[in-house]
Amino acid sequence: MSEEIIRVEELGKSFGEHQVLRKIDFSVNKGDIICILGSSGSGKSTMLRCINQLETQSCGKIFFHGSELGKKQKEINEYRSKVGMVFQSFNLFNNMTVLKNCMEGTQKVLHLPKKEAFERAIENLKAVGMAPFINAYPSQLSGGQKQRVAIARGLCMQPEVLLFDEPTSALDPEMVGDVLNVMKELAKKDLTMLIVTHEMDFARDVSNRVLFMDKGYIVEDAPPQKFFSAPEHPRAKEFLSRFIAG
Amino acid sequence: MTNTPTNSFEWVLFIAKKYSDLFLRGTWLTMLVSVSGTLLGFILGYAVGIVQDTAVNKEDNPVKRGILLFFKGICTLYVELFRGTPMIVQAMIVFYGLRQAGFEIDPISAGILVTLLNTGAYMAETVRAGIKSIDAGQREGALALGMSPISAMFHIILPQAFKNIVPEMANMFLTNLKMTSVLNVIGVQELFLQAKTAGGTYYKYLESYLVIALIYLVLCFVFSRVFALIEKKTAVRKDYVLAVEYMENTQ
Ligand SMILES: Nc1ncnc2c1ncn2[C@@H]1O[C@H](COP(=O)(O)OP(=O)(O)OP(=O)(O)O)[C@@H](O)[C@H]1O
Ligand SMILES: [Mg+2]
Repeated sequence: MSEEIIRVEELGKSFGEHQVLRKIDFSVNKGDIICILGSSGSGKSTMLRCINQLETQSCGKIFFHGSELGKKQKEINEYRSKVGMVFQSFNLFNNMTVLKNCMEGTQKVLHLPKKEAFERAIENLKAVGMAPFINAYPSQLSGGQKQRVAIARGLCMQPEVLLFDEPTSALDPEMVGDVLNVMKELAKKDLTMLIVTHEMDFARDVSNRVLFMDKGYIVEDAPPQKFFSAPEHPRAKEFLSRFIAG
Repeated sequence: MTNTPTNSFEWVLFIAKKYSDLFLRGTWLTMLVSVSGTLLGFILGYAVGIVQDTAVNKEDNPVKRGILLFFKGICTLYVELFRGTPMIVQAMIVFYGLRQAGFEIDPISAGILVTLLNTGAYMAETVRAGIKSIDAGQREGALALGMSPISAMFHIILPQAFKNIVPEMANMFLTNLKMTSVLNVIGVQELFLQAKTAGGTYYKYLESYLVIALIYLVLCFVFSRVFALIEKKTAVRKDYVLAVEYMENTQ
């Protein structure tokens, strides 16, 4: 069995009265490519945001390499530098060029010298096919281009895990493929990924595990072959039948 | 008395010439007080705006929370006080208040102090609105890289907020240039007070005020040009150069 990176125990999250996550238990092992499925409002984004501590959980614990993640800001910063995140809305820094976007984290957080930060940025931008655009500002790029830069920015940190929250949902259909191809390449390179997505084909072909969420619970945790051919939970069956029908 | 002025226009020229020293000194003081007061006020405004924008985190320890809440309280009180009273009244209270308390403050320093406090209060609100106008995703993008909240504020959010605030800063600058005229009540010899003095000898107040009106106009014009330039400099360039050295033939 491969090494465990993140473990989530009894995680819960409420916004006021509204309980969004309940008793979330699972772990992420090195090399895992986990797709998180579920209907809108089931808590997928919230779970990802808790894992990355953009939301603080109401209860439960997160373990990173076996030790519990504390509440100290410094500890959280360091953890985040190893657990990257790619957002649906890209969140590229609008005041910086593509190149600066990719050097900001390595310079300010990892304190790499400029030359090294530059080389790393170029290398990762090349990997996503965006190196020619180093001088452009985010507002000058298409959605698909922005998302590829955002992935490169995340990769520059050389994270142990990369979290994706619906990375292709804000894109025009013709650009979805480019971004998914980049992610498939990352999968081949054994990057550990946690991906919230509505791309069923991608989940089936690329992931090694599917988590299905419903009303704040993980109701199914299965390999894709099993999940897509014989889902157990009635909500998962219903969810899949909608996709096959549509 | 061959060239005694015969009409208003001639009187304006006459007074401008005769009292050019007074007007020059007035111009200098008006600029000194408004420029230094405004710039210092901007700094104060940024500091207060950032404090007011800082969220009190339930997870923080009680001491840290207490300190933060205390500072936020002070900032709110300050902003309310200075936005809720006229600058002319603030000038009187600060100047005579400090003197009565035993601080031998001169009118110019008091004038700068009042201008900076006044500017800071307005600027704090502007900065806060400017920070709020930046999409939360910018901050989250920075945090997700492991940047500290403070680093995210200074490297990502403020530079973008600044760009949005520049027009408002220009506005405030011009307002202050004119508002310093109220400082005549505490004896700062800025343009307004000098005009009053200059007009007194010949009882030609209107003409004297026309002179400084012109000076104010010119100053405002110059400063608004300067700010227009800054605004242009901070705008994102329209074109970018493709880095052809990284173009690949395969794609
Ligand atoms: N900051 C917040 N404050 C209050 N409620 C929130 C907040 N964020 C999310 N919620 C609520 O939590 C629930 C789960 O939201 P979440 O965004 O995690 O769902 P999701 O599974 O990602 O949905 P989608 O597929 O639409 O993105 C929703 O009912 C939402 O209204
Ligand atoms: Mg979501």
